[in-house]
Amino acid sequence: MKVRADILKTYQSLHTWTGITSSLLLFIGFFAGALTMFAPEIDRWATPAAHQMAAIDTDRYDALLDKVLQEYPKASDSVALHFTDAQSPVSWYEQGSPRGLRLDDMRWHATLDDNEQLITELVPVNSLSALLDMLHRTAGIGGEIGHTQAGVFVLGIAAGLYFLALVSGVIFLLPTLVKRFLAVRDQGERKRFWLDGHNLLGIASLPFHVVIAFTVCVFAFHDILYGTLAQIYGDKPLFPRSAPSQVERNIADLPKVSELIALAESHAPGYQVAQIKLSNLNKPSAFATIDVANEGEIARGALNDFIFINPYTLEVVSSSVANPEQTVWARLVSSFFGLHFGSYGGDLVRWAYFLMGIAGACLFYSGNILWLEKRRRKGMQQHRSYRIMGALTVGISLGALTGVAAIFASNKWLTLTPVNINQAYMFVYYACFSCVLISAFVYGPAKTAINALKVLALLCVVVPATSVLAGAVPALNLWTPNSLGTLMIEVMALVFALMFWWMSVCVTRRATANEPGSIWHLETSNAVTSELSIKHS
Amino acid sequence: MKNYTPIQPDWLSKTLAGIIGGGLLSFSIIGLFAWFGPSGLTASLSDTELLWKTQFNMWLSVPIWLLVMSFTYLFRSGAQAWLCLLSASAAGYGVLAILRGLL
Repeated sequence: MKVRADILKTYQSLHTWTGITSSLLLFIGFFAGALTMFAPEIDRWATPAAHQMAAIDTDRYDALLDKVLQEYPKASDSVALHFTDAQSPVSWYEQGSPRGLRLDDMRWHATLDDNEQLITELVPVNSLSALLDMLHRTAGIGGEIGHTQAGVFVLGIAAGLYFLALVSGVIFLLPTLVKRFLAVRDQGERKRFWLDGHNLLGIASLPFHVVIAFTVCVFAFHDILYGTLAQIYGDKPLFPRSAPSQVERNIADLPKVSELIALAESHAPGYQVAQIKLSNLNKPSAFATIDVANEGEIARGALNDFIFINPYTLEVVSSSVANPEQTVWARLVSSFFGLHFGSYGGDLVRWAYFLMGIAGACLFYSGNILWLEKRRRKGMQQHRSYRIMGALTVGISLGALTGVAAIFASNKWLTLTPVNINQAYMFVYYACFSCVLISAFVYGPAKTAINALKVLALLCVVVPATSVLAGAVPALNLWTPNSLGTLMIEVMALVFALMFWWMSVCVTRRATANEPGSIWHLETSNAVTSELSIKHS
Repeated sequence: MKNYTPIQPDWLSKTLAGIIGGGLLSFSIIGLFAWFGPSGLTASLSDTELLWKTQFNMWLSVPIWLLVMSFTYLFRSGAQAWLCLLSASAAGYGVLAILRGLL
């Protein structure tokens, strides 16, 4: 396809500058996002199985809930009934809430024993997946603007740049698209391999990237957008307003749990009830949120759809469930969320999103490499921008990876120490991140990349090695994976270890190739002698 | 042989036109869609319809805005980008005001 030369030039510049300004933020967002696809498994992997209480039959939930509400009045503010084997039957927060990242949340778990006696335990909430989610949404940038983390806005702007980079990338690829799409040339100029790989990754996963770019903009700026929309609505309300209920509520009038489940099942045929959260049970504003899951439909949430009901009148206030009454607008909005979260099609789609997230991180990294290779001049004298961007590319991407790998590697060992594990996670992540970033500036990208990749491989090996050790030496009081999901985390850690080691070997090979002036070049004794011998000859 | 006038880069001017002019244009289109499109505000909507339609309107503003921003660099100059985007959004808001007055 022919595109005018001036348009190609304009969009090539646009692609270069939008890409280089957003790529490193997006790198962190994408690889952390890929990991959050398995957030429930990660949390189960991170905590000893002993923290989870025995499941009970559905018909015993009424007795359990009654006992909890009698003995722990605080639970009436917000108590969750769980119906999946992976969680204790009942839980409520002593401190904190299930949303967002906090480091000192405490949660009660409860169940019934065989004699219908209540068993409870107060357990600190492990925030490993919440921390990954924070990295995913903010790239680790702290601070708050209003009630939103500043990093969310930064990533929102990065996502806007990313959208421009996608459109401009496609435009300036159009003339050669058909010829080049599947050609990954590893012969000839080194740049070509990266260029072809970058194009292949970008075009092959373009729909995924377009969806992610635009949904992230919405997630970051929806408050501002609703504010603007309110101007256009004039005196019409944005959302339906109902007068707050004045009816006093008494827990004794609460319908049976089985009635709530029956309501959910009739409202959402084909769905499984995963959780019922009851809130403000003593107040007129009592409400219940029922999480329902159906792998055959696109879910509004990351894992579930939601039904909001009044637990006393059993009236459905609103719902995101796909049923015949669902409007086309609800279906469309749910699909925007679901397409970002990958919450459709079950495990298959979760794996696909995991791989596409990793591939996305590779896309951004390869873009930076291309930017660097293009700016490299012949000889030793290089632009300052080349050296700084080289150090930033290696430091930030490998720094974030090392931080996360170090958390996973240290997780089980940290439980043996008296520290607050969530604070330890934060310390480990930011310490590793800063070390690698500083090292990239002090020792240069080549040396940092070789060593950081080896450290990464080592940290990844520690994950399964810890479990092997835990199995061999029970006295250590560590634990081994007890389900397929948690086992897969350790298998993937091994896979990543092999990949990082292989990358380290590749960078080493590149560093010893005689390309003085490149950020990847390392002065080895060998290279120095050959250079000297050239000079002397 | 070039038989066209090459486009001027005008980076700053076009970028601002894309952000501001594109935003205004996007919300003028959303305004028309929200009021006079399907499940419009002039009809009486059920609570459920309003709840989800408003969310959809908000969502729709972003892809329109981003697409306008992406193609703003095709204008021959920054001045032309501003002129076209502002007049298109003025026309949009004009039509919206007239229709809301009439209906």
